[in-house]
Amino acid sequence: MIGILWQVLEGALERLSALTTTYLPPLLAGLAILLVAYGIALAARWLLTRIFKGIAVDRFLRQSGISSMLTRSGRLRVTPLVAAGAYWSILLAGLLTALSAFDSRVTSRMVEAVVFLFPKLVIVGAILVAGLWLAQYLGRSTLVWAFNEGLPWPRRLAAAVRALVIFAAVVIAADRLDFGRNIFLAAFILLVGGAVLAASLALGLGGREAVRRYLEERAGRRESEGERSLWSHL
Amino acid sequence: MATTALPENVLGAGREVRHAEIVIGIPSYNNVRTVAHVVRAAQAGLAKYFPHFPALIVNSDGGSTDGTREAVLSTEVEDAHLLLLSSPLLPVHRLSFPYHGIPGKGSAFRLIFRIAQELEAKACVVVDSDVRSITPEWFDLLLRPVLHAGYDLVAPYYHRHKYDGTITNSIVYPLTRALYGLRVRQPIGGDFGLSARLIARYLERDDWETDVARYGIDIWMTTIAIAEGFRVCQSFLGAKLHDAKDPGADLSAMLHQVVGSVFTLMQEYEPVWRAREGSQPVDLFGFRFDVGLDPIEVNVERMLDAFRSGCEELREIWALALQPDTHAAIRKLGCEASRNPQFHLEDELWARVICEFASAHKKRPVERGHLLRSLTPLYLARVASFVLETQSLFSVQVEERIEHLCLCFERLKPYLLAQWDSDAGTETEVKP
Repeated sequence: MIGILWQVLEGALERLSALTTTYLPPLLAGLAILLVAYGIALAARWLLTRIFKGIAVDRFLRQSGISSMLTRSGRLRVTPLVAAGAYWSILLAGLLTALSAFDSRVTSRMVEAVVFLFPKLVIVGAILVAGLWLAQYLGRSTLVWAFNEGLPWPRRLAAAVRALVIFAAVVIAADRLDFGRNIFLAAFILLVGGAVLAASLALGLGGREAVRRYLEERAGRRESEGERSLWSHL
Repeated sequence: MATTALPENVLGAGREVRHAEIVIGIPSYNNVRTVAHVVRAAQAGLAKYFPHFPALIVNSDGGSTDGTREAVLSTEVEDAHLLLLSSPLLPVHRLSFPYHGIPGKGSAFRLIFRIAQELEAKACVVVDSDVRSITPEWFDLLLRPVLHAGYDLVAPYYHRHKYDGTITNSIVYPLTRALYGLRVRQPIGGDFGLSARLIARYLERDDWETDVARYGIDIWMTTIAIAEGFRVCQSFLGAKLHDAKDPGADLSAMLHQVVGSVFTLMQEYEPVWRAREGSQPVDLFGFRFDVGLDPIEVNVERMLDAFRSGCEELREIWALALQPDTHAAIRKLGCEASRNPQFHLEDELWARVICEFASAHKKRPVERGHLLRSLTPLYLARVASFVLETQSLFSVQVEERIEHLCLCFERLKPYLLAQWDSDAGTETEVKP
């Protein structure tokens, strides 16, 4: 009986020893890597906050219109943004390196998946930022144009243009990630096609008279402006 | 050197003329109603005041379909006795060409200047083809300071109706004066006398393909002359009565081109205007007299409607340019516009709006188009305020009001510099 107990205990101790010898060194190594990465991340954040004032980048973001796209209130402060970006990037890299220290199938697959997805995620991020920028730019162009042309609901028109461009960017991004490619594409085609068809039907059936009246009024207004406009702005 | 070769037909005509000491340029686009009168005035002016100068009249046309070019080429001064000339009128060479490139007044001027340079003209006059009040004396007044007194740019000085020239009175004159320190009253008047030296400088530049090709040309010419130290004077021409510039012209495009040119030139000549304080009068030639002017109808209610609507619709764009307190004041004014029959946009608030838009134009190059086009309802609010304020005033009193606005712009120059230099974005909070 004692012999059996001893055997069980010996087996448990062997398994514990095997587990310890298998996982403890990589765990310790992983923790050490994480600790070092955390230290580097903190140092990088401190350094960037101190020495990189972000003036030139601030100016670039403002001049390119990106800051007004990303923040509606206040101004976009680049220094903390860049510092936080560097901090989290270093932490993520540290975490991946720490995981790779285990050299197990699961961790290897996780690391591989992240490494494989990372370039795609960067590209998708760039597509989404470009889409947002374009949506903002075209939205504002539509807003100002519609207002100066005297069209009704300029802000709604601008919002529609923004939504369409952002949706197009999302479709392209999803396509890059092979994520719901057909669903997004079909939805996009349905949306655009539906909008065009609805507008055509509305104009052709219901709104013909209204559009005619509107155009006549507009032409009349232009004409009377011309008659009255004996003054020059210049 | 941005000058390109003249078209073959222009060169051929130039070879025929060979030399002209005076070139008179008339840009046109569908001005058959008035262009013949302008050509007759030019011919008579040359014959009466400069009979010994070989001269050429050039019509640079933007593709008129109403017979403007034919009218230019067929117009004659019928009776020399009417002008009290001792000798019969000599024929003056006349040429009419369609210009190429971007359609607009600036492109028309460019062709005229290149012809003047090719013919080695000593002086050139450009006049609008829609002016009904032009007389032969205008050419004397615009040419003589160049030919006999060594001036490079002769700007016009007219009597205009108090509601005429509103971009000039509310933006261009006060801002140009505050920036460059010279009181050129009609910097975008459209009728100028120019020296060969100044024309050569214009043709050297490479920004002809911008808003300069369109309505930006006048302020571009005046600003370059002032900022680069050319000798500038004014000539009193009497009344300016003209057809509507272009009844179908889009106001926001016109404003965009003129104000965009002012703001763009501000960046180029920053070292010049930064150093100048106050303003100086400019030499004024000609005998000043009072004249009657055509009455002008203005629809204030429509302007205020546009402003109210702009406050609601364009606040997102205005927030890019205006400081929070300026934006709040404008929005408050927009809310009150419908209730308050005594709508009034104060000079200082208006000057601040322009200073802030000028600074935003420098800081946000990508959004320049949006900013400039969104200025239209603000400008209409200023015009409406000016009309309401001056409806019972005489022209002298109106001129005092404009002087008050100019002084306000001059006083706010440190504010402009602060805005211009600040690196911070101006974006204000936009509440839904």
